[in-house]
Amino acid sequence: MTRFRTVDLLVTVVIGAAFGVAFLGYGQLYTLIGPLTTAFKPAEGLLAGIWFLPAVLAALIVRKPGAALLAEMIAAVLSMLLGSQWGWGTAISGLMQGGGVELVFLAFRYRRFTLPVAILGGMASALLEWGWEKFAYYQEMSWTFSFIMLAFFLLSGALLCGTLGWAATRALAATGALDAMPAGREHAARLRAAEEHATPTAPADPGSRRTESGRFRA
Amino acid sequence: MTSLSLQGLTWHPYSRAEPTVAGLDLKIPAGQRVLLTGPSGSGKSTVLRALAGLLDEESGELAGNAPGPARPGERGLLLQNPLDALIAATVGREAAFGPENATLPREEIQRRVTAALDAAHVDLEASRAPLEASGGQQQRLALAGSLALGPSALLLDEPTSMLDADTAAAVREAIVDTSAGRTLVIAEHRIAPWLDHVDRLVLLGEQARILADGPPHQVAAEMSLSPAAPTAPGPTSAHDPGSGSPPGAEAVARLQGVVAERGGRRVLEGVDLPVQGGQLTVITGPSGAGKTTLLRVLLGLTAVSAGIVSRPQREQVAFVPQNPEHSFVASTVREEVLASPWAEDEQLAQELLERAELTDLAAANPYTLSGGEQRRLAIVAALAQRPRLMVLDEPTVGLDAQRHAAVLELLEAACAEGCAVVAASHDQALIEHADIEHRLTGPTAPTDPAHGRPDRTIGPVPRRRPIPADALNPLVLSLIGILAAIGSFAVQTWQGGLLALLPIVLLAPLTVRSLRGGLLRLTPILLSAAGLAWTTALLGDAPSLSREAWLLGAKEAARITVFVAPGVLALGSVDPTALGDALGGRLRIPARVVAASVAGLVRAGHLGQQWQIITQSRVLRGIGSPASPRLLAGATLALLVDALRSAQQQALAMDSRGFATATTRTWALESPLRRVDLLGVGIAVALGVWPLLAELLVG
Repeated sequence: MTRFRTVDLLVTVVIGAAFGVAFLGYGQLYTLIGPLTTAFKPAEGLLAGIWFLPAVLAALIVRKPGAALLAEMIAAVLSMLLGSQWGWGTAISGLMQGGGVELVFLAFRYRRFTLPVAILGGMASALLEWGWEKFAYYQEMSWTFSFIMLAFFLLSGALLCGTLGWAATRALAATGALDAMPAGREHAARLRAAEEHATPTAPADPGSRRTESGRFRA
Repeated sequence: MTSLSLQGLTWHPYSRAEPTVAGLDLKIPAGQRVLLTGPSGSGKSTVLRALAGLLDEESGELAGNAPGPARPGERGLLLQNPLDALIAATVGREAAFGPENATLPREEIQRRVTAALDAAHVDLEASRAPLEASGGQQQRLALAGSLALGPSALLLDEPTSMLDADTAAAVREAIVDTSAGRTLVIAEHRIAPWLDHVDRLVLLGEQARILADGPPHQVAAEMSLSPAAPTAPGPTSAHDPGSGSPPGAEAVARLQGVVAERGGRRVLEGVDLPVQGGQLTVITGPSGAGKTTLLRVLLGLTAVSAGIVSRPQREQVAFVPQNPEHSFVASTVREEVLASPWAEDEQLAQELLERAELTDLAAANPYTLSGGEQRRLAIVAALAQRPRLMVLDEPTVGLDAQRHAAVLELLEAACAEGCAVVAASHDQALIEHADIEHRLTGPTAPTDPAHGRPDRTIGPVPRRRPIPADALNPLVLSLIGILAAIGSFAVQTWQGGLLALLPIVLLAPLTVRSLRGGLLRLTPILLSAAGLAWTTALLGDAPSLSREAWLLGAKEAARITVFVAPGVLALGSVDPTALGDALGGRLRIPARVVAASVAGLVRAGHLGQQWQIITQSRVLRGIGSPASPRLLAGATLALLVDALRSAQQQALAMDSRGFATATTRTWALESPLRRVDLLGVGIAVALGVWPLLAELLVG
């Protein structure tokens, strides 16, 4: 199960690449909280979690060791090649952000892919990324402000990375785009269980339909 | 040559309630040419994957016997959408992908690539970008990619369904030419053009049960008598041209003398197009003629460089993108129809759902619908807006006869209600239904050599305007960025920081292709540095905004610039393919990870285009502004769905070219380390220690 099929590799890479592209569009989000961050830089930590999304999505979807790290590294390398202003710092960030999620899923031996684990993963990434930024970018920021920033990072990691990533995986599974992946299989099993539960006695289920494509849905 | 066989094959994907193939026995003797047909959803594609030996037991349950290929690449597989098969940044590397996986030596790779590109009639130079080629060229290139491994069987999944008639004929010719001496299996719902080229026709029904099997013309004749069988698209309903458009009706929209550019190239030259209410206008022309640009002009997405454009107000214009999934925003079909703030009439929505025969699916997730259902849903969601102008990009591409007819009916009904319908298309059946065909010839595209054979030599990805940094190996360029970043931590004072910046300023001109490009790369760095200076001055340990705090800020700004600028500048001259060759060929990083990563990075430009279409479709539907978190979240989901679906197709295409077992592979181009790279290493070391020396100098 730990071997990467070609589809696992590509799905992981593509999650990274898609976010690398979407991140360019996300730049606009910072304009929304612009006034807040000019006055109080640590508030930027509130959006930090978004950058770790590729890692948590890859871990939840592909469910194999290394997926989180690879997806986040791809997103980072893509940002670098496109001219991210942090240069090689971006690669280290990718390592920290991917590594945080990876370590948490490793701690659960790649057997638990639940919301709490995803939240822990997001917070671990937040912690590592904060450590790196403190070291590389904010050496001269006072510790008081640094810890306020850490609090923002952790909150954002839990919500925007862990929770949002978990919800996004569910939403993706519902589209059928994950059918070849473990997360898609789990979703299908969940649907079927719900269906059987709803109509325990009817084998020819009247509530289900076969559509013109032959796809099945509840 | 290979004979192919499936014995009692049952395939049950974990995601489906029922098997998609149930107990199929199919034996194809070596050298036979077989046409496989059946309605959408009958399992044609699955049968092809089974024949290719690519059913994956991690995603479904397999019973029976489907013997796999004896060697990688023995069975070539072509997919419906050639875009899914493409993995490389140049035509040459694309064709080389299979031979690289088969660890062939470099000279042999070049030989195979030349032969395969010739055999598949690819008219592109080896240095061209596959993702920018036309659909027909892409499909022939995909064919070349298979041929390069000398397959003894070719398996083709609707290889021409996305192409216009002429291009399809050219692709068909290439396939027929190359199939001599090979086993050939084609899955298609439009069978007529293939009948003369195959030995056998197999008609599949539900769950890939064989309904008919025999000589092509005989089976085809039987099929045309059976009402359940697919038929060739033809006139679907009596159409009375001009019925909805009284003469002299006012134009809903109008282009007058429009000139527009795309990517710096002039694609529309003096276009005059009045768009009348109640009429179906079809924009035709070869690929690259500017069909998409014209639609964008009509929608107000592309500014014109000359001419006049008039169109209805925003809320009266609706747009249906080529991939309907790009416009989806809701989690149920019913909500989708009413998702636009300009679609308020629930009664109308209900009627439209009925008209499109989607009422039974009202509670389903739009993304789970079939291709035909999705197309109809996107159209009725547009009509729910009661638009005066509806613009569609290729609304019938890839649909079989029945679904094709259903889409035409919706468009005609819209016309009958007075809506002006404009579609870009190269579908003959749609063109025949049009009231007006506006044909774009486009400026003569500077495409391919008119005379002689294109250059087949595999080379590096071409660069516009070479720069000195191109001479260095990507690993050395990376080293420069890394050592400079490490060295930057030696900066302790603002004077030392300024001095440390000096060599970077001097070397920078060697790394930028143009002044504008250089500024684009440097501006974000300088802004971040300024931001950091401000933050440090404000939130540092020194009293806020004191002179001391500002000097500390200046030091931080200089330090961070020394930290990032060399890396950003050096990386600007690296492209993913060369980086992959260096990491895989030089550093021996696991080959499959590197090759898959390069394939993903090469696609970034394509993903960027998809992102643009996705966000613009949403803005056009009135869902929100491009900066709204809701729009961005929905757009990200749509981009991921698109990317994940094509990743799964791409994995198939790659595995059919021997990627599954390519734990070691050759790299078609070596990643040379030359004498000049020594100089590069010297620069890297110098940049690494200079900040420390600078600090010592300023004392």
